[in-house]
Amino acid sequence: MKAGLEVHQQLATGKLFCDCPAELSDDVTATAVRELRATGGENHLVDAAAAFQAARGLRYRYEAVRTSCLVELDEEPPHALNPDAVDVALTLARLLHARPLDEIEVMRKIVVDGSNTSGFQRTALVAADGYLEVSGRRHAILSICLEEDAARKIGEGSGEVTYRLDRLGIPLIEIATGPDIVTPADGREVAEEIGGLLRSTGRVRRGIGTIREDLNVSADGGTRVEIKGVQELRLIPRYLEIEESRQRALLRVRARLRDQGARAPDRPPVDARSVLHALTGPPGDLVRRGGVALALHLPGFHGCLRSLEGSEERLGRELADYARATGLKGILHSDELPGFGLTDADVASLRSLLGAGPLDAFVIAVAPDAAAADRAIRAVTLRATGALDGVPAETRDPLPDGRTRYSRPLPGRDRMYPETDVPPVPVTADRLARIEAGLPERPEAARERLTLQLGLDAERARTLVRAGEVGRLDRLVAQGHAPALVARLLVQELPEAQSTLPPEGPVIDLDEDVLGATLAAVESGTIAKEGIGPVLQRLLTGTSNVAAAVADAGLGGGDRGDLDRLVAQVVAANGDLIARRGAGAFAGLMGDVMKEARGRWDGKVISDRLRAAIERAGGQAGATA
Amino acid sequence: MADDPWERIRRLPMGRQIELLQADGRRWVGTLVPSHEFSGDRIVQLKLESGYNVGVHVNADDTVTEVGGSDANGGRPTESGAPPAPSRRPPSSDRWVALLTTGGTIASRVDYRTGGVRPVRDESEILAFYPDLEREGPVRVIPVMDRLSEDIHPDDWLALARRVFEAFGAGADGVVIAHGTDTLAFTAAALAFLLENPPGPIVLVGAQRSPDRPSSDGFSNLTNAVRLARHPDLAEVVVVMHAGLSDDRFAIHRGTQVRKMHSSRRDAFQTRNSGPLGELHEGTVRFHRPLRPKGAGPFRIAEGLDPTGGLLWFYPGLEPDRARAFAEGRRGLILAGTGLGHVSAAHLPWVRDAVARGAVIGMTTQTLGGDVDPYVYATGRELQRAGVLYLDDLLPETAYAKLLWALGRSPEPAEVARLLLEDRAGEFERRHPVEGPP
Repeated sequence: MKAGLEVHQQLATGKLFCDCPAELSDDVTATAVRELRATGGENHLVDAAAAFQAARGLRYRYEAVRTSCLVELDEEPPHALNPDAVDVALTLARLLHARPLDEIEVMRKIVVDGSNTSGFQRTALVAADGYLEVSGRRHAILSICLEEDAARKIGEGSGEVTYRLDRLGIPLIEIATGPDIVTPADGREVAEEIGGLLRSTGRVRRGIGTIREDLNVSADGGTRVEIKGVQELRLIPRYLEIEESRQRALLRVRARLRDQGARAPDRPPVDARSVLHALTGPPGDLVRRGGVALALHLPGFHGCLRSLEGSEERLGRELADYARATGLKGILHSDELPGFGLTDADVASLRSLLGAGPLDAFVIAVAPDAAAADRAIRAVTLRATGALDGVPAETRDPLPDGRTRYSRPLPGRDRMYPETDVPPVPVTADRLARIEAGLPERPEAARERLTLQLGLDAERARTLVRAGEVGRLDRLVAQGHAPALVARLLVQELPEAQSTLPPEGPVIDLDEDVLGATLAAVESGTIAKEGIGPVLQRLLTGTSNVAAAVADAGLGGGDRGDLDRLVAQVVAANGDLIARRGAGAFAGLMGDVMKEARGRWDGKVISDRLRAAIERAGGQAGATA
Repeated sequence: MADDPWERIRRLPMGRQIELLQADGRRWVGTLVPSHEFSGDRIVQLKLESGYNVGVHVNADDTVTEVGGSDANGGRPTESGAPPAPSRRPPSSDRWVALLTTGGTIASRVDYRTGGVRPVRDESEILAFYPDLEREGPVRVIPVMDRLSEDIHPDDWLALARRVFEAFGAGADGVVIAHGTDTLAFTAAALAFLLENPPGPIVLVGAQRSPDRPSSDGFSNLTNAVRLARHPDLAEVVVVMHAGLSDDRFAIHRGTQVRKMHSSRRDAFQTRNSGPLGELHEGTVRFHRPLRPKGAGPFRIAEGLDPTGGLLWFYPGLEPDRARAFAEGRRGLILAGTGLGHVSAAHLPWVRDAVARGAVIGMTTQTLGGDVDPYVYATGRELQRAGVLYLDDLLPETAYAKLLWALGRSPEPAEVARLLLEDRAGEFERRHPVEGPP
């Protein structure tokens, strides 16, 4: 199996083509409704993917937020390419040994799914032909591009999709590797290494959704397929495995189709309403209420639509996904009948209606109107025809369980043409020299320094470097905080606190002042190490400062006297237990104490005080230790 | 001396695939495409397999090799490469709309060479861009010129008026004019004065975004303009453009009352002194104000345009001598004064002298909204006494177009003045409602 990776990382600079800040927001101030047409760019050769999207006839509703401007609504020409973003891209080029262009040419990439108000994404190639060494293997880096992120999909209604403009225009660096990934675990490693280099620049946005991966996968004898938008690195191996097995399954289907003499559907669809009276469920209701039901003859496809032995993949599901992409909820196919209220007799009637032989299959599309049914049948015909060749080139959406679902056709090069509103950007020797002088520390050097000079253990040092937190650690250590504590905050407490946040919410990036204040709270004894988590959670959800977070978490203000009183209370309340168990009562009582005391005092201090108190109490009762 | 690879590349035709091997080891394989106008020296543009264009500096010690095959389209649009026009309806006696094209963004395409947009050249190109045009009935495309509207001259207004007249004469029920947005309002006003008693709608329309973009406002603007051109009750010059930032509402503006008020917004066009004449929404047309009735007299071109009329925008520091020189030799001048129609008192002498020698001077306001009024302030009274005509709420551009037309109608200053002050095409709006323009 061959796979290449495309990593997209949002940058923490301003937006790429305007002067708006790169931040997400819920403060919607205006909306506009638009339609997008399939145009041929400069060449009039309408790209298949673009035409497909435009044919859905959707309207798009765009939500502007307080930080949106006319550029994002396609009401003003783009401003010049953000020079900070270009610098970050050139830095990555250098780190990945890639060759920068002498002049950067911004292109328009037609994208008609509504996620860009102009109907295209602005993108530019910055450097090419680099490499990355991971675990002793060299991976080709094909290209480093700079492009604008798309608008954020908020919802989909009948005939309308809603997007928010806050994310549109945030700069993305796209790094594409060659098809060098041999095993699924490679994919994870390469993605993490690239992620670490990106974060080492200190100019990238953090949090869920700020980095995305696309996989380009093909099995032997298969086709290149793009899986777009994988969020979780650790699932990459699973996506690769499942895609490989999906492609293999489709090749087996192809073989069986050939054995059965299958061919492309060559008859027009037939009105099947007369046979579908007994159909259950929403499609049945639709038929009875006067909807349209078309049946399509699939010659030689019998038994090929359901899963073959040894696989969960089904051609039938692919056909259904193509129909779904035109707006239909789903289709029925003959391999799953009789069923859904239809009997053997009904199936026989359908076969007769279609003139279908024993090796033939059929598909039924039920829709509110003829146009929708027609679109679905066309899509199914396209996919069924493709099944005879094996695996079609597609863009697929990742699902949480590692499977994928058809999204749209794979776009071709016809969809790109020059963005003439933005002048080309020269990459001068001076600029490259400045980039060279400002390169971030290389991972190996950083790891060494963290262990040898700062005394961190190797594993923690590795995690810090991978997470791109070396810069922040250095600055916080320079303020006087202990390296181990800083490290714990950055790569343990902070990620844990962030993982408790809802995934779609706005990402609050805590600045170093706040992090320093949190550390200071620990150092001054206001809170214990265990209190860092609760404090961070509150800061991440909008509490304005550390003191307020500490108060809100019910921590702080605890002196030793309070602890002793608490311990005494618990001990007094459990006199019998102590009398019976002596020191053995500790485990149970520790739980009671921690309910009140967690985070306010250091865990060791608490356990010491409790043990001492139990010993004294046991002593008084005369129990043995 | 070895052949300079840059010179060699320059001699190759566009679309040729080359390999460029550079001394530092970089290697590029791509199709030659035209360079951007702002590209640096010795920068070659190549389109890679991926579709991206790259700019590479060609050094003297680089090696250029031609690689087999040409890009099917030469890496740029070929004139013959446009897809065939969609099948036309056969000519019939159906009501048809004439679409006159003058150029402008709405009928233009991206040109690599200059890095900008250029007007399209012929009917088939138009139809390739706008395949939905004939959805509600036949449309005949009549190319008149291909200018960006900043290049349009008053002589072109007259030429256009003649083509509009011919189109109605040939049986069109309505005429749509595709025009660049920059000077669209000037043309609209001029046509309103030149064309007397039009028998049907004359709809000017443009686009703020070129049609190579999926988001172009041109598609919906043009569709709605064509729809309006079939309206049986409308018989005047109007402008149709987006009413807001959404693609669902389109404003109908009287051609003599509209101005482009933003350089890039879709809803840039505004009727300044009252709301728009009407609106198109979801296929239906609604008028908010009374329409001009179909004229009692014959449809004709009220010929005449004297381009020696001028438009002068007053500003603090404008030297009276320079203004006097500007007025020299002109039979008429429109002033865009400040506020209620004022210029500095220092300009009174040349104004008086100009009027005395027979020039017709009209006053408008550069506030672009509200009336000019000579009675409220002393300056206004002085200017009126000097013979300046106060033109109520006419926009400077409308007044300018009207002046050129009036000067062309008569050599007599008194007659020119009379024509200027008379309401010819509904351009004067006596009521300014409370909910005025922004």
